[in-house]
Amino acid sequence: MFREAPHFDVRDYLRKEMMPHFLCPGCGHGMALRALLWALHELKIDRDKLAVVSGIGCAGRLSAYIDANTFHTTHGRPLAYATGLALARPDLHVVVITGDGDCLAIGGNHLIHACRRNLKLTCLMLNNEIYGMTGGQVSPTTSETRLTTTTPHGNTEPNFDACALAIAAGAGFVGREVTRHVPKMKELIKHGLQHPGFAFIEVLSDCTEVYGRKNDMGSSSEMVMRQKSEMRPSAYRDSVDEPFRSTDLPTGVLARNARPEYGAALRAAAAARAAK
Amino acid sequence: MNEQSNIAASTREPVAFNAALAEPFNVLIVGVGGQGVIMVSKVLASLAQAHGFEVKQSEVHGMAKRGGTVFSHVRFGPKVWSPTIAKGEADVLIALEWAEGLRWLPHLRRDTGVFICDTKRIVPPFACRSRRPGAPMRYSTETAEQVSAYVSEAYAIDATRMAEELGNDRAANVVLLGALSTVLEFSLPEWERTVTSFVPKKTIAVNTAAFELGRNWIAEAKTAPPSDMPARSAPTQTNYTPRLEITDAWCKSCEICVKLCPEHCLELDADRIAKLVAPEKCTGCRLCEWLCPDFAIRVHLDAEQPALEAAR
Amino acid sequence: MNAIDRSHAKPAAKLLSGNAACAQGALDAGCTFFAGYPITPSSEIAERLSVLLPKAGGVFIQMEDEIAAMAAVVGASMGGVKALTATSGPGFSLKQENIGYAAGAEIPCVVVNVMRGGPSTGMPTRPSQADIYQTRYGSHGDYPIIVLAPASAREIYDETIRAFDLAEICRTPVILLYDQVIAQSSETVALGGRAPVHATRKWASGPRESYKPYAADADGVPPMPRPGDGYRTHTTGLTHSESGFPSQDPETVTRNLGRLYAKLDHFRDLIDSYEAVRCEDAEVVIVAIGISARAARRAVDACRAEGHKVGLFRPITLWPFPEIALREATQHAKAILVPELNIGQLRLEIERQLRDRRVEGLHLISGEPITPAQIAAAATKLATEV
Repeated sequence: MFREAPHFDVRDYLRKEMMPHFLCPGCGHGMALRALLWALHELKIDRDKLAVVSGIGCAGRLSAYIDANTFHTTHGRPLAYATGLALARPDLHVVVITGDGDCLAIGGNHLIHACRRNLKLTCLMLNNEIYGMTGGQVSPTTSETRLTTTTPHGNTEPNFDACALAIAAGAGFVGREVTRHVPKMKELIKHGLQHPGFAFIEVLSDCTEVYGRKNDMGSSSEMVMRQKSEMRPSAYRDSVDEPFRSTDLPTGVLARNARPEYGAALRAAAAARAAK
Repeated sequence: MNEQSNIAASTREPVAFNAALAEPFNVLIVGVGGQGVIMVSKVLASLAQAHGFEVKQSEVHGMAKRGGTVFSHVRFGPKVWSPTIAKGEADVLIALEWAEGLRWLPHLRRDTGVFICDTKRIVPPFACRSRRPGAPMRYSTETAEQVSAYVSEAYAIDATRMAEELGNDRAANVVLLGALSTVLEFSLPEWERTVTSFVPKKTIAVNTAAFELGRNWIAEAKTAPPSDMPARSAPTQTNYTPRLEITDAWCKSCEICVKLCPEHCLELDADRIAKLVAPEKCTGCRLCEWLCPDFAIRVHLDAEQPALEAAR
Repeated sequence: MNAIDRSHAKPAAKLLSGNAACAQGALDAGCTFFAGYPITPSSEIAERLSVLLPKAGGVFIQMEDEIAAMAAVVGASMGGVKALTATSGPGFSLKQENIGYAAGAEIPCVVVNVMRGGPSTGMPTRPSQADIYQTRYGSHGDYPIIVLAPASAREIYDETIRAFDLAEICRTPVILLYDQVIAQSSETVALGGRAPVHATRKWASGPRESYKPYAADADGVPPMPRPGDGYRTHTTGLTHSESGFPSQDPETVTRNLGRLYAKLDHFRDLIDSYEAVRCEDAEVVIVAIGISARAARRAVDACRAEGHKVGLFRPITLWPFPEIALREATQHAKAILVPELNIGQLRLEIERQLRDRRVEGLHLISGEPITPAQIAAAATKLATEV
C-alpha cells in the first residue's frame, strides 16, 4: 500500500494572509519550516498550546508564518525568552527557531547554557553559513575560504560545529539534517519534539541568493542537489568531488541522553522543600 | 474458513518415526526476518532431541530488523552427519511467508514432501519496480495450482490472519507448528509441553489456542475438497492519479521543482511559474511539494481513478 | 479587573532591608517569576526570592547573564505571569535592548535597578543616583516607560507592588530605581495595612476571528492574548500594525508610537506619585529622590528652625516626571536646590521644567551619601540670596 501523509497540508499550519513569505527564491528555510510543521502535525501538537520563539535574521522571521502563539524576539535571545516562557508555562510546547548567527554568535552563551540546563525546549537552528538578512556577512559557521561581504579575501576563521558544541554542553538531544531530505528532517524534528529535555537540531540550509551567488555555487536546485554530494553526510563521501565544507559533518541523531529535565527538577526540589 | 484452503488433500497418516528410521528426517523452515522462523525450528529440534534423536540445526538469521529472508534446517534421526538439507531432500517445508515458501520449493522432495505455507505476503522493497503509487509489484505470480502440481502434498494456510483473530499476529508461527504437528509423529502432550516452554509466559494461552487452530485446520483440510489460493494473497491494486495544485502567487520561480523532479515533468511557464507539463509522467512522489521552499505545490493523489495505463 | 487577595501579606512589623522589602513586595504583588544574575548591590533580592518564590509555587532562575535574565522575564510575562528581575547599573545597561522590546511589544514586567557608583564597573558597594537618564532613555528609539524612585524600605515594599500594578494596567515595563544605601540598610517596616490594589492583566476575550492583538481599548491599552487561550497571535519587536504583524506603513507606525505615549498619559492619575513637604510657602524648594531626599527632609526642618522658608519636593514617580505637582509645589519658590549623587542629572530635568527659576545643584560624586548638613547649608545660602 502506498504510504503518504494524506492529512498533512502545510497550508493548514501557515498564516496564509502572510504568504507568500519574504524569503528569497530557493531559500532552504522554507523546506525546514515545512519539516517542522509536518512534525508538529504528525505529533498532533495542539497549536493553541504551541509557542514558537524566534530571534532575528532570516530564520527568525519564520515564526510569523506559523499559525500558533509566535514570538519574534531580539537578536540572539530567543532561547532566553523561551526559557522564561517554558518555565512560567510548563503546559506549553515551546519551539525555538534561530539561525547560525543568532544562535552561535550573539546568542552563543544562551545556547550552551540551555544545553547545560536541559530545560524542555526544541531548538531548531537553521544554518546557512551566512548573515543573509544583513547582506551576507561572515558567520560563525561560514566555511573557510568562502567569500562574504566582510571576508572579501576569503574567510580565514575556522567554523563552529554547532552539534559538537551542543553535545559537549550536555544537550539532551542533538541531531542534524540537510534540507534536501525533508521527510528525514521531519522525523528528526519529531524525535527532538518528543525528547523530554533540551533538543538541539541543526538544519543545513541553503542561502542561494546571497551566499550561493557570492561563491558561484550555482542555482538553487544545484545547491540542493549538491547537499547530497558535497554537503556532509559521510555516507555520500565516496561520490564527492570536492567537499566545500571543511569538515565532515554527520547527519541524523547524534546524541541522546536521559539527564534530568530542568523544569521538572526545579519543581521537584521546590516540592521537596515545601514538604519539609 | 474460506480464507484458507488446502491445495491438495491427502489421507496419508503422519510420518512414522521409530528406531528403524534409517535416514535423517529433514524439515526446512523459511520466512522473513521477525516472523519467528528460529522459534519454530528450536521447538522442533528440542522435541526431536527429547524424543531421543540426534539433531542438527542450521540457520541463517540476524535479518530480523531488515525484513530479509531467514531459513533454518532441522535434521534429526538416529545418526545425522550433515547440518544442512540438500536440494530435493526436505521431507517437510514449512514457510511463514508465501514467496519465501515458493523460493525454497526445489528443496522439497517431489514425491513425498509436505509443503505447509502461510499465505501471508511480505513484499520486499526491490519488488516495487515502479514509483507510481499502486503500480503492480514484482511479487511471485505462481498460482496455487502450479504449486500443487509440483509437490505431493501442500497446504496454504492463512496462519497470520488466524493468529490476528486470536489477538496476537505474532502467534502465526505457532499456528504453523500446530499444522506441522499433524504430519510428524510426536505425541500431542510432547508438542504442547515444548511449545509452552518456548513462548513468553504471558502468551501461553494465546499460543496454545494458536497451536490447536493450526492442528485442527489441517485435519479439516485433509477431508475437504481442494480449492483455490485464498483471495487475500492476491495483490491489492489501487490506482492513483497524481494531481498538482500550484499556488501561482506563492511561486518564486526558483526552479527547484523543475530541476529536481525525477521524472522531469515540471517546467516554468511564460510567467516563470511552475507548471506540470507532463502529467502522465508524474508518479506523485511529492518531491516537488517537499522541496518547494515557498509551499506553492501540493500533490494530490486521487485514488480509485481509472488506471494510468488505461488513460494512455 | 479583579481585586487581588493579599491576605497572605504579613501584617507584622519586620526589620527589612530595602532589597528584602522589594522581594516581599514582589511576592505580595503576585509575582511568580524571577530571573536574575548576581550583581552588587541588588543580589539580596535574588537570594531572598530564591527561597520565597518556590515556596509560593513560583519560579526562580539564575540565568547565564543579565541579558538572558531580562529576556527570560519578558518571556515569562508573555506566558502570562507577573515577572521581576533585579540588577544594578552595569547589568541594567545590558538589559536595555530587551527593556525596549518589552516597551515596544507592550509586555508588562518589573525591573529593579539598585544604583551604584559608575561609570563602568565603578563603585559596586557605594551609592549613586547616576542612572536617572539610563532608566528613562537607556534603550534605543522612542518609547515611554515608568520609573518609580522609593526612598525607604517601607516605600520600596509599596512601590514594588505599585510597580507590578502599573506594569499590568499599562502593559509596560516599570523600573524600580533606588540607591545602594536604601537597598542595603535595614529599617523597621510595618507590612500590611495597605489597600488591595487592582491589577490583573487585561486578557483578550471574545471571538478569535476578529481579534487584533494591538487594537487598543479607549485607554490605549490593548487586551493581551494569553498563550493557550486560542488566539495564536504574533508578537514582535518590529514596528507592527494592530494585527501584530510587522508594518512600516508611515501612518501605522506613527499611530502606534503615539498610542504608546498616550496610554501612559491616560493613566497619569495612577502613575504620578510624589511627596511635598512644607512647600506651600517655600521660597526655596529642594527637589530630591532616594537617600538624598531623606537627607533633604532633615535639612528642611533644620532650615525652618532657622526661619528659612524651605520645602521639599520628592518625586516618587520619577518618569514620567510629575511636572504639574512640581509646578504647584514651587509656585512661591524663588530658587530650587537639587541635591543628588551624580554630576547633575535630576537638575537638568528641573531646569527644563522650571525655566524661569533659579535652579542650583548640589552634586556629590565621591561615593558617599549627601548629608543633611550639606543640604541645609546650601539651602540656607540660597534662601539668603533670593
